[in-house]
Amino acid sequence: MAPCAGCFLLAVLFSANCKVITFLDPMCTEKEASRTYNCENLGLKEIPDTLPNTTEFLEFGFNFLPTVQNTTFSRLINLIFLDLTRCHINWVHEDTFQNHHQLNTIVLTGNPLIFMAETSLNGPMSLKHLFLTQTGISNLEFIPVHNLGNLESLHLGSNHISSINLPENFPTQNLKVMDFQNNAIHYISSKDINALEQVTNLNFNGNDIKGIEPGAFNSKIFQSLKFGGTLDLSVILKGLQNSTIQSLWLGTFEDTDDQDLTSAMLEGLCEMSVESINLQKHHFSGFSPSTFQCFTGLRELDLTATHLRELPSGLEGMSSLRKLILSANSFEQLCQISAASFPSLTDLYIKGNTRKLDLGTRCLEKLENLRKLDLSHSDIEAPDCCNLQLQNLSQLQHLNLSYNEPLGLQDQAFKECPRLELLDLAFTHLHVSAPQSPFQNLHLLQVLNLSNCLLDTSNEHLLAGLLDLRHLNLHGNNFQDGSLSKTNLLQPVGSLETLILSSCDLLSIDQQAFHNLGKMSHLDLSHNRLTGDCIDALSHLKGTYLNLAANNIHIIPPRLLLILSQQSTINLGHNPLDCTCSNIHFITWYQENLQKLEGSGETMCASPPFLRGVKLSDVKLSCGITRVGIFFLMVFVFLLIILLIFSGKSILRWKYQHI
Amino acid sequence: MKGFAAAFLVWALVSPQGGGETWPAHTACRDGNLEVLYQSCDPLQDFGFSADQCSKQLKPNLNIRFGIVLREDIEELFLDVALFAKGSSILKFSYPVCEVDLPKFSFCGRKKGEQIYYAGPVNNPGFEIPVGEYQVLLELYNRDHSTVACANATVTCS
Repeated sequence: MAPCAGCFLLAVLFSANCKVITFLDPMCTEKEASRTYNCENLGLKEIPDTLPNTTEFLEFGFNFLPTVQNTTFSRLINLIFLDLTRCHINWVHEDTFQNHHQLNTIVLTGNPLIFMAETSLNGPMSLKHLFLTQTGISNLEFIPVHNLGNLESLHLGSNHISSINLPENFPTQNLKVMDFQNNAIHYISSKDINALEQVTNLNFNGNDIKGIEPGAFNSKIFQSLKFGGTLDLSVILKGLQNSTIQSLWLGTFEDTDDQDLTSAMLEGLCEMSVESINLQKHHFSGFSPSTFQCFTGLRELDLTATHLRELPSGLEGMSSLRKLILSANSFEQLCQISAASFPSLTDLYIKGNTRKLDLGTRCLEKLENLRKLDLSHSDIEAPDCCNLQLQNLSQLQHLNLSYNEPLGLQDQAFKECPRLELLDLAFTHLHVSAPQSPFQNLHLLQVLNLSNCLLDTSNEHLLAGLLDLRHLNLHGNNFQDGSLSKTNLLQPVGSLETLILSSCDLLSIDQQAFHNLGKMSHLDLSHNRLTGDCIDALSHLKGTYLNLAANNIHIIPPRLLLILSQQSTINLGHNPLDCTCSNIHFITWYQENLQKLEGSGETMCASPPFLRGVKLSDVKLSCGITRVGIFFLMVFVFLLIILLIFSGKSILRWKYQHI
Repeated sequence: MKGFAAAFLVWALVSPQGGGETWPAHTACRDGNLEVLYQSCDPLQDFGFSADQCSKQLKPNLNIRFGIVLREDIEELFLDVALFAKGSSILKFSYPVCEVDLPKFSFCGRKKGEQIYYAGPVNNPGFEIPVGEYQVLLELYNRDHSTVACANATVTCS
């Protein structure tokens, strides 16, 4: 009886009451309580009753509403954004949105509309965005005009529109964006353009424009005009005579047949004012020094994937160009871009070169004003980088050399660009032999991305000289023995605010490893194999964003909870957390500090087995003695006393009987 | 055991519509010694695909036909390809189809809900397919990593 009672007592003492709260809603997903809901792909035939009346943003695409009328959405009078993409809508009847005064965006993309009633869009006080993409419209008269006075953008792509001639009563006073992509517009007349009073963004991509009435764009001003995939560019450029355009997109595509660009075709540019032009994927038929003679006023030129192997030297008309994009071409050597033709350049992009790009020496030395240089994804290999290669780039602020072949960096490898503020070397294997300090003179550098650079992290001088470094990414680099020791490469960078040490295969961090990093506000240690003890190294940090996701944390001892409490946001997702009473202090702390915790959906128990996969926030442990426990304990003690008294009595009786 | 069965039933009932449904296998091309079959692995929908020529000696810049309803915007679109033979992985690569600074194809930038029909080149390199049976997993996804299309293909070359 006694051992059984003991077991019973133990069971009472250590029993943990576990309760799991689960929440299942097979219907719409709540993105923001009582405001934002997603009900897509549910095959719904009406607005479900579970949606609150307060709903403001509703994604209702891919459901089934052949007819929408004034009863369909009548309950949701607070709607601001309504997405009805591909709901098989045929009819939009009278007064559908009568009571939706706040409605600002209606998306009807992909509905086979047969008819929209005259008053079907009446109601909203300020309807700003209307999407009628691929709704089968062939005539702009189809769109009910009564309540479009506040409209700012109208999307009419992928319809059967052949004329952009707006009906006379169509209100355009606020209309700024009109999208006519992929229609059948072949001709643009003066009358058409005159009707588009305030429109500053026009998209004609995927319309084969064969003619523009001369003078149609005369003294018109546009922010953005797009004529992507047009067969004959000279038609467009002639038609745009005397217009002022900030950004003109004239690129073509892989699947579009086009004529080779000649100097003659680009002549129209002399008669207009353009700030930025895109000619992606075109072929140039022979380059002459005068090919760009009409580009004199141009600030930005995008020649992405234009099959260039070189640019001839002495190109005329490029003296005021600020930004040049030569990405996805096939230069063999950087000098082949003839940089001397672009003396005012501040931004140069040559990323994704299709051949191995040789940086050569002094190829960019004439670009004294260059601020941004992107040479990523270009198969660049250089055993001794980068002083000869980047000679005279003294104003350079941003340099991107990521995703290249191995680079060898010596001491002061970026001496030629002392004003660098951002340096991206991600996924480029760096050869730096200890104890060299390649970044020595970069006193202004603020951002350094060294992720996946296969660094020798034992070189304590690697980051020497980076006096102003705020953001350092060391993702994917390994440390000796998987541990970040007391003396490490982070010693010289005391000004760090953001440090990323994710996926570094770290097993431990010395308590003193970060002691000089007092300004840190963002520390990412995710995807390592760290245990709870690593938190010791963060005792001097306050108000930090701390990411410890996907580590090997089982138990966080009570003494470390104070350190966690000091931080602003903590992510502990995907850790094998222990949910037994030996971790009760942490679990209690966790549930009291939920507002500090990020990724709580992925923060789950790994043990004991019956709680595996349960969210930490849903676990209820009680590890003290419960009321039932106290009752049984008292009964037990009472019984014990009685037992003692009886046994004492019998011993005494036995003794007296034998005197 | 009963509890397990009940749990399974509940799971089956609450799992999203279309979950568990499989789409029919289609023939992308069949010719003499090469056959390509595919099946959509997007639980929400099927799609149509065919290649204009089908030979062991794959020509560069193949023409394809492709029809699908977009469930996501595709201003940015990426393709992941994983090739397996006899259950082991041979090749994996990722290819950007549409990027903000380089929309390679005319369909780049189309909107969620649009129906797309593409007939044109795919800019592939030419190569010879060695004899054997291969499994290919193709996934098209956008910037949020939301699935645009997913295909399980079987290539049989004899």
